[in-house]
Amino acid sequence: MAKKQFKCKVCGYVHEGAAAPEKCPVCGAPASEFVEIKKKGLFSDKNGNPYIILYSTVMVVVVAILLAVAALSLQSRQYANELNEKKQSILQSLLASEAEKAGMEVAEYAAQEGISYDSYIKAYVLDAEGNATEDAQVFDLLKDLGGSFAEGKFPIFVAEDGRVVIPVTGAGLWGPIWGYVALEGDMNTVAGIVMAHKGETPGLGAEIATPKYQAHFVGKKIFEGDKFVSVTLRKGGATEANIDHEVDAITGGTKTSDGVTAMLFSSIAHYVPYLEAHRAAATASEPLPAAAEVSNAENVENNE
Amino acid sequence: MSKQEKEPLFSAKNMKYLTGPFSANNPVIVQILGICSSLAVTVQLKPAIVMALSVTVVTGFSNLVMSLMRNGVPSRIRIIVQLVVIAALVILVDQILKAFVYDVSKQLSVYVGLIITNCIVMGRVEAFALANKPWPAFLDGIGNGLGYGMILVIIAFFRELFGSGTLYGFRVIPESWYMSEGGFYSNCGMMLFPPMALIIVGCIIWVHRSRNKDLQEK
Repeated sequence: MAKKQFKCKVCGYVHEGAAAPEKCPVCGAPASEFVEIKKKGLFSDKNGNPYIILYSTVMVVVVAILLAVAALSLQSRQYANELNEKKQSILQSLLASEAEKAGMEVAEYAAQEGISYDSYIKAYVLDAEGNATEDAQVFDLLKDLGGSFAEGKFPIFVAEDGRVVIPVTGAGLWGPIWGYVALEGDMNTVAGIVMAHKGETPGLGAEIATPKYQAHFVGKKIFEGDKFVSVTLRKGGATEANIDHEVDAITGGTKTSDGVTAMLFSSIAHYVPYLEAHRAAATASEPLPAAAEVSNAENVENNE
Repeated sequence: MSKQEKEPLFSAKNMKYLTGPFSANNPVIVQILGICSSLAVTVQLKPAIVMALSVTVVTGFSNLVMSLMRNGVPSRIRIIVQLVVIAALVILVDQILKAFVYDVSKQLSVYVGLIITNCIVMGRVEAFALANKPWPAFLDGIGNGLGYGMILVIIAFFRELFGSGTLYGFRVIPESWYMSEGGFYSNCGMMLFPPMALIIVGCIIWVHRSRNKDLQEK
């Protein structure tokens, strides 16, 4: 049996042995005055360093395992949700103005028209010269669109009716902003736009995410003649002279508006080679609408 | 032990933990906790309500968990332990929302960080959960979350009504009243900025104190 320690309460003498001595050799106190000194376990003191280190280690490991299990087991569902959201945003950029005319939500309208993302839209990835390759991994590129742009990979979505959707990304006042710009088959007219943001000021900059504001972009043109000018959000309101390329900026949301302008210009600029190639093709195959208008005007003049 | 267990779950004492924070012990206007998030998320009613519900869930469960752990927590590192528990809880909830109710999680995205740093959560864990049994601690957490949410909704009500003319996204003040439409009315732009929320909190405290004489400082 291990030796125990006993301490005399009267004089403080410490005795080692199996039991307390009958009489204290120093002060003569009886055995009842002795108390056992209990050896403390390493982890018995809750405020001792060993216990704290053990406690925090166990806690961190448990929490880490818990979070890792949760993250891994839910990952596929979350990914499916994100993918679905992106597909819906792309559809919305194409269909919002038509759905608005029909007085329906985009989802309702798409269901009525029998349009679903998978049957209606094909995704391609462009290189810097605008050559398209089909790519199944296109949604992975959208995750870090800025990075994809830097690598020279430009995802684009082509709808059945020849319209295209271009993903855009940029910075607002407080954080990232991103969106999808749908262009008509002429690769010039904006058919619709969807924008979202991480944390712009509610009621001010955050207005960019509302369908009401996004409707202003419909019908704007990104080319002036053959020059790419993008669409600008002008502080103080779009000017009459430039009405095709300008949208009213948001009052009190100047920084966010500037961010949107920069986002549209820099993102769409990457696609200009592709757009120009397809513009040329579109104008070559179709009778020139601009020329027809001129001849109409001439006709009117001639008649008069 | 057995005596304690016989106490009914919703005894008068337990109910006081739940309802106390609604008025007499309100976390925002009496304890002055959670002011910053009540400035940040009250521009419109919808985010305010989402925030209120999420904070209620988090205060409730962090109180419960910390109360269950209270006998083992070394007091020297209790704040760190609280932080880990609260942060883990919030991340877990966020992950689950993302997987199952994606729309709600999109609404919440910005506020998740605000929940972790919300001082009500840690305040209640530190002041109540570490010294009380799990069930009262849980009720206290839920009560404080709801008390906080109540103030949030009141502030958001005024800010959205006067700042945007809408309530929960629906138009309340008719379009025809606006000056741009030839009317006499225009929104108060100040309401969209955080300082106005602080002024509203001040007004709520004023009204509340004048009705509760025992809260007035001498």
